[in-house]
Formats: sequence, structure tokens, C-alpha cells
Amino acid sequence: MSLAIDVTNVSMRFESKGRAVQALDGAALTIPAGRFASIIGPSGCGKSTLLRLVADIMQPSAGSIAVGGAPPRQSRRDHAIGFIFQSPTLLPWRSVRENIELPLDIVGSASARAAKRSPAELIDLVGLKGFENALPAQLSGGMQQRVSIARALALEPEVLLLDEPFGALDEITRQRMNLELLRIWAESGTTALLVTHSISEAVFMSDTVYVMSPRPGRITAQLAIDLPRPRALAMMRSRGFFEAVNQVRDALFGRDTTDADGAQGATETY
Amino acid sequence: MATPATRDRLRRALLLAAPLLALLLALLAAEWLTARRMLPVVIPAPSAVWADAMKNPAVVTRHLTPTVLKAATGYAVAAAIALLAAAISSLVLVLRAPIYNLGVGMHSVPLIATTPLFALWLGTGPTTHVLVAALACYFPMLVGAMQGFAAVERNHRELFHMLSASPLKQLRYLVIPSALPYLFAGFKIAAPSAVLGTITAEWAGAELGLGALMLYALGAFDINKVWLAVLMACALSAAAYAFWAGAERLVIYWDSAAELRD
Repeated sequence: MSLAIDVTNVSMRFESKGRAVQALDGAALTIPAGRFASIIGPSGCGKSTLLRLVADIMQPSAGSIAVGGAPPRQSRRDHAIGFIFQSPTLLPWRSVRENIELPLDIVGSASARAAKRSPAELIDLVGLKGFENALPAQLSGGMQQRVSIARALALEPEVLLLDEPFGALDEITRQRMNLELLRIWAESGTTALLVTHSISEAVFMSDTVYVMSPRPGRITAQLAIDLPRPRALAMMRSRGFFEAVNQVRDALFGRDTTDADGAQGATETY
Repeated sequence: MATPATRDRLRRALLLAAPLLALLLALLAAEWLTARRMLPVVIPAPSAVWADAMKNPAVVTRHLTPTVLKAATGYAVAAAIALLAAAISSLVLVLRAPIYNLGVGMHSVPLIATTPLFALWLGTGPTTHVLVAALACYFPMLVGAMQGFAAVERNHRELFHMLSASPLKQLRYLVIPSALPYLFAGFKIAAPSAVLGTITAEWAGAELGLGALMLYALGAFDINKVWLAVLMACALSAAAYAFWAGAERLVIYWDSAAELRD
């Protein structure tokens, strides 16, 4: 199951220390159900804010958001939204299995529990078999983030929101996690929206990349990525990938920065 | 050769045994030095104190038990009030500062000076002793509980928001576990204070109790009994602390998990 995400003319103002900050100004995007989209932009452009608005962690000052046609609040209450935070945000007193079971404990009812995917299945899905009883402090950063992915999938959400989930990981782990995330996404059939500041990550993962301008944030470009699925690391050497990376780069920095030929994308790293 | 694991275990065993060894050495030294009259002050030989206690063990239990009971009651009352006050302060934010400041005020008053007043008002019965014990240990528990109830991390709060957790589930799965390390810190520090408060109150007047025993013994110039009372008070304080430290180690199992990673 999956739901579409519609963001229409969303603006967000913060009051901080008596000074108003315009974080978002008329941002708009539409992600069809079941697709993988990314938002890319410089630090502080409001991309995380936009994601939080979709998740109903915050409410917009103006404009409207719909998840599967419903307001975010209702979708959140229906457990239709899974959110993966920048940090794993695990409860340190709960084991891997107990952290993954947390959403089930909170929903509570036995029927909901029975209907959802079993914790054992989720542990298998994120490759943590044998670590069921480990505590978060005993796991590496990558493993902790896997637990948080499994937890986000526990209630079988229709929409997965990812806020730079692998930003703190080393490059090698990060590539592997991205591949796994794509596999999990394809298998769970959700709509995914990823916030990142890595151009190659955005291109590699997405069907559509949205480019945001610095504050006040608005969507300045929408680029379709025409790479076949399932994605493989080898595609990162393909011409199509270079071209897409350069398109995103042009949208971010303007045309004049890429006066060399298209091969410049090869220097782009995670 | 010893593996790192067994070496680690050995190191921990030594750390645990070190205070006991030190105590044993101090006792032996005291015994040896007093026998040769090499100390500038008069202390009885530990063996003499021990012999005195064994001669009439009923004296020990008759005075130790009431002190233990009164300290524990005062401690429990203070703990209940501290938890309640901290809970209220975390729910009604305007009350946070007054509750804290009242605690500071109570803590700043020297109990040794006010205890005679309580004795005048309430008599020299257990009520006064329990009240002073409670006053002596209230503040650390209040601070621990207030910090604990405010200790939920922001991103954990957002996680529970995303999961649409009810307030009750938040309390059970997030607020209480997050608070536990702070609660234990406060409870641990407060435990010896309850013993101190009880004995202070007994000094102001009591029939039974370690404080009363001290006064009787001082009056009778029974040095062995004075020392017996002093040592029992120290042991009781240490035991109260050790009880909570042990409970903390058992309950807060996730803090030591980090040690296992390397």
C-alpha cells in the first residue's frame, strides 16, 4: 500500500528570539503513490522543515499538505506515516527487538499486532538476525539506523519519510545502507520522501529529485531520473547517472559552474 | 595467561574488595596502635568495642532498630512528597520555580538549629525524628525527580508524537525510563541524609535510637558504647547508600552496556 503526497504553496515562519525567520515560502511538490522522491538543498534551506510538516511534527503557517488526500494529522494518527530521523533515536533501555516492537506496544491492541509484520520478519529484513537481544549502545551507528528503519516499518506505513538518515555514517556503510533501503522500499511498496544534501545519493535513490533554494526555501527545480530499477552501484558509472547528477548540480548552483564536459560528475562523492 | 575478560573481572573484584581491605587494615592498625598507646587521642581497641557489643547484643538491636525504622519512614515520606512535587512541577510549569525554591529554602535551614523547635512543638517522640529525617533527605530527591521528569530527549518526544502515543503510554514507555537514572542519583545521595536527620533529631531527645545511645554513653563516659554507636551510625549510612547503589546497578542496566562495545 502507498499514498501520494501533495504539498501546495506551503510557507513556514518561525519566531525565534523575537525575530521572524521565513523557513519556507510557497513550497510545492507532488509525489505519486509508490514513488521514491528526494529533496536536495543546502544546509538550512528548510528541507527538513518541509519533511516535518508532512509528518505533522509541525504545522505550516500557510498552504496545505495532504497525504493520500487526508491531512497529515489524520495520516499520522492512522499510523500511515513512518518517519526515520537523522539520528537513530532508539530507546537505550530497549533491546533491538523491543525497540522494533515499540510501535506495536504503543498501538497496543492485539488485533493490530497480529495484522502487522512480525518483529522477527523485520529483523530479518534489515539484516540484524543474531542481534535481537543486543542493546543499542552495543551496536554500530549503521546497525542502530537499521533498527530505526525496521521500527518505522513495524506498523506498515504507506509513506516513509527519511530525514538524512545516513548522514552520520561513513561513505562505505552509507552506500550499502542506501542499496538496502532501496530493496526494503521496493519490497514494502511505500511512497518514500528522502531529505539529503548529497547530489549523487539523491540521484541514485530517486524517481524525482526536488531542488530547494536557500532560505526562504522554495522548490526551484523538479528533475525526473530515468535510471532503470532496481538500481545497482554500477549505474553510478553510467552516462545517464552523470547527466542526472549534472542536471541537479546546475539546478543547485547555476549553469556556469559546469563549463567542463559531463564527466565532471565522476568527482562527485557521497 | 589471563585473558582480557578474566583480567577485567579480577580488576572489578579488586575494586569491590578494596574498601573492605582498607577497613580491615584500619581496624588492625587501630588495634595495634592502641595496644602500644601510640595515638595522641584515646580510642578504644576495636576488639574491646566488639567485646562490649557482644556482651549485651540486645543493646545494639534495641537502639539500632528504631533508628532504622524512623530513617526509613522519613525517607519514604520524603520520597513520596518529592515525586509528587516533581510530577506537579513538570505538569504545571508556573509551579516549577516555587516548588524548587521551597526545596532550596528547606535545604538551606540548618536542621541542627531547628530540630529543638520541632521537639518543643511535637515532643521527643518518633514523629519529630521522622519529620527531621524527611526534611534532611527531601531536597536531593526533589532535584533528582525534577531533573528526571524533564530528561526526555527532544527526538524521543518527536518519535512518540509520530507514533501518536497516548499520555499514559508516553509516561510508561518514555518518561519513567528516561527519569530513572536521575531518580536513582537523587535517591542514592539522599539515603545517608535520612540517617543523619534521624540521629540529629534523636540528639534533641529520644528514648531509643542510635542518637539516644550516644547521649547515654557520653553521659556515662562509656567510651566503648560511644564508639559502638558511632560505628553503627556509619555502617547504617553506608548500607543505605549501598542499597540504592546496588539497586541502581540492577535497574539501570543500559548505562553499562556501552562498556561492552569495545
